[in-house]
Amino acid sequence: MTAKSGGWSGHILRVNVTDRNWTKIPTKQYAQRFIGGVGLATKVAWDEIPQQVSALDPENKLIFATGPLTGTLVPGSGRLEVIGKSPRTYPREVVTRSGLGGHWGKELKNAGYDALILEGAAEMPTYILITREEVKILDAGNLWGLDTYATQKRLQEMHGLDCQTVCIGPAGENQCRIATIMSETSFASGKSGFGAVMGAKKIKAVVVDGRGGCIDIAHPGKLLKLADHYRHLLGVAPMREWTTGGEPSEHRINFFRKYRTGNASCFGCPLQCWAFINVPGTAPSQSGCVNYYYLEPAVQYYGESIEADRAAWLGNVLCNQYGLDTFELAGIVPLIRDLHQAGLIKIKDPGFPIGEFGSIEFISGLIEALARRRGLGDLLADGGAAAVEKMPGAWSIYEKYYPAHGQLEHNSVRDYPGIALFWALDSRDPLIDHHAYRHLSVTRQGWPTPHKLNIAQADAISEKIFGTKTAIDHGTYAEKARVVALCQNKSAARNSLVLCDFLYPIFISQSRDDRMGDTSAESHFFTAVTGRDMNEDELDKIGERIFNLDRAILVRDGRTRREDTLYEAYFRDTDSIDPAISQSKHHLVLSVDHTKAVPRDIFEEAKTEYYRLRGWDPGTGRPIRKTLVGLELTEVVKEFYPD
Amino acid sequence: MDLLTKLGFSELNTRTRRTVVVNPQACTGCRTCETVCSLVKTGKIYPQMARIQVARKPFEGRFTPHACRQCSVPECLRACPSGAIGVSRTTGAVLIDPKKCDGCGNCIKACPYDMMLFDADKQKAFKCDLCAGQPRCVKYCPTHALGLAEFGARRKE
Repeated sequence: MTAKSGGWSGHILRVNVTDRNWTKIPTKQYAQRFIGGVGLATKVAWDEIPQQVSALDPENKLIFATGPLTGTLVPGSGRLEVIGKSPRTYPREVVTRSGLGGHWGKELKNAGYDALILEGAAEMPTYILITREEVKILDAGNLWGLDTYATQKRLQEMHGLDCQTVCIGPAGENQCRIATIMSETSFASGKSGFGAVMGAKKIKAVVVDGRGGCIDIAHPGKLLKLADHYRHLLGVAPMREWTTGGEPSEHRINFFRKYRTGNASCFGCPLQCWAFINVPGTAPSQSGCVNYYYLEPAVQYYGESIEADRAAWLGNVLCNQYGLDTFELAGIVPLIRDLHQAGLIKIKDPGFPIGEFGSIEFISGLIEALARRRGLGDLLADGGAAAVEKMPGAWSIYEKYYPAHGQLEHNSVRDYPGIALFWALDSRDPLIDHHAYRHLSVTRQGWPTPHKLNIAQADAISEKIFGTKTAIDHGTYAEKARVVALCQNKSAARNSLVLCDFLYPIFISQSRDDRMGDTSAESHFFTAVTGRDMNEDELDKIGERIFNLDRAILVRDGRTRREDTLYEAYFRDTDSIDPAISQSKHHLVLSVDHTKAVPRDIFEEAKTEYYRLRGWDPGTGRPIRKTLVGLELTEVVKEFYPD
Repeated sequence: MDLLTKLGFSELNTRTRRTVVVNPQACTGCRTCETVCSLVKTGKIYPQMARIQVARKPFEGRFTPHACRQCSVPECLRACPSGAIGVSRTTGAVLIDPKKCDGCGNCIKACPYDMMLFDADKQKAFKCDLCAGQPRCVKYCPTHALGLAEFGARRKE
């Protein structure tokens, strides 16, 4: 008799739109070593995306990967990960990841697939329909050009209200490198520009109808108990005004109270972190923190008024509809203003009223210009970094706000040693994967987190998790290398399960008096769902393996220690950042002193320590043979050390 | 099963009626209720077998859970030709005796709320049984969009 098992649906679906065929491969060959999600997809990327392939080539692959916990009763299990060579990363296209929340992941599993690999490029606009019985590659001629809301509504009319869709808008079709993949109103895979990859493949949408499907659970009774226990431990307080950004302005709070009609959430999530906002004259839409980026400029332009509110909300809704990354817009918008004021924009017809910063015309014109690649929009559609490179003198303005990888600063980097290291050692904005560490550590700076921690509690938690309270002390680089490595491992493991970064690892409990979390939650859930024994250390080890495989891909594509760094401006003191820009730049100004330089020598020392802890060559940043052997990454050993 | 399969007026007046009540304003459409229901009833995550169903309108931000009303005069009970449907004396839930159900589907047509469901594998009707008085969907709903209401409760002790 075999033990009960569950979690995985059992197969990976591979759809080649060039040859118009599809095949099923068993998940098993990936699950043992890499679990699912980021792990599974990174393995596929290692095997199938060679160095010379560029992001928009038909040879690039786009992998949508769920994990064994996706779509189950585990709180925060609504997510999946999208992986491929990214057109967005700067200066070079590299393989990276981008999460996607909502309900599509569980639908894919109900249809019988743990992951979907998209290959090739279609000649004509196409969409893919996946049901439990079959896969169809269908003509999307009448969908091409539609915005993401209209596309989904049309597909619902054709395939039923219960189907789930991911799709691209005009921005993805026109291969803007800041294009998103969208689901429902606001669930987005945004940060890695994968909308452009779908656009290059001429795939407008992937519709999944998993009705009648199910996911096996190894120990249902245990899962029920664990879900109950950890939900109480998390003690999730419904997120209210806080969802407008870490340190919301009064405008944001007023706006939120005025227009919120309810909350929404991803599948199976107690957090309800999406507010549903309905501003008259715009389409209703879910919103998270970054979606308010245009409110302050609009209020400056119009004063507090309905026009300002409409402008702010168009800045969000149009991004969702055209399929553009709001996070990049939050950076581009003040960047355009600064470049314009400095007289660096030489284009005669930018495609929108560039002087009217804060107006409805500015934002709707800009988004249209970006998505259609017109005027200045054509330049900026490749991302802020690629655009300013072509404008002499513009880089010095740009690099104030963008620490690395061509992505906008997301938390103060200058005086947060741990966060500076996260940035340097990742391939994209890393903060999305490290909310837990951030929430714990910013408490020391007096940031009003919703977790209501005091410093003594934060220190006690830090001592339990990291063995020292120095781990969250932002006055020093001591211990940060070890902490960053541990957090990265935990994050890679969690992203392979796939669980939400906002809830896991559970560093902080909102229900306990001492606020002490429990970082073993993921492993207990894993055992209950899959029936495979797992403890926290083993799961961290798998996370380490996945992180090293990801590193191996970066190294194979040319990454060295020299590139594990921040842009030069971050190593110089800067003048104080204009608060207006900071506000529109999302919850950014958290720190006491955000003007000081990252100390280069100490930063490099911390990196050396990090490589040593990782078992990487400190000179090159390449994992050494012993490390790879210890992690059972035989495929990498074979390629890196063939003798 | 200790079921009242014929409802007289006197019994109607004295029985306890409990039902899952819904507050759509608070619902975020997370479908935890469906998930937990199917897990308890089938041991799997099996949304189609959930006794409670969420109607989602994501583009309007409207999410509405639909649960059996456990009607005081159940149409399903009246429509059943095999006497398989009755009311529990202990919980007040409208229940189906699977031994008597022959899968004719009359109850499904009769239910005005579409909350009588059909199991194609077993060829039998199924519905919410209030988890013997302690519905898990209510317990696990993260936003308190679901509650258990009790009407006309008269405890015998």
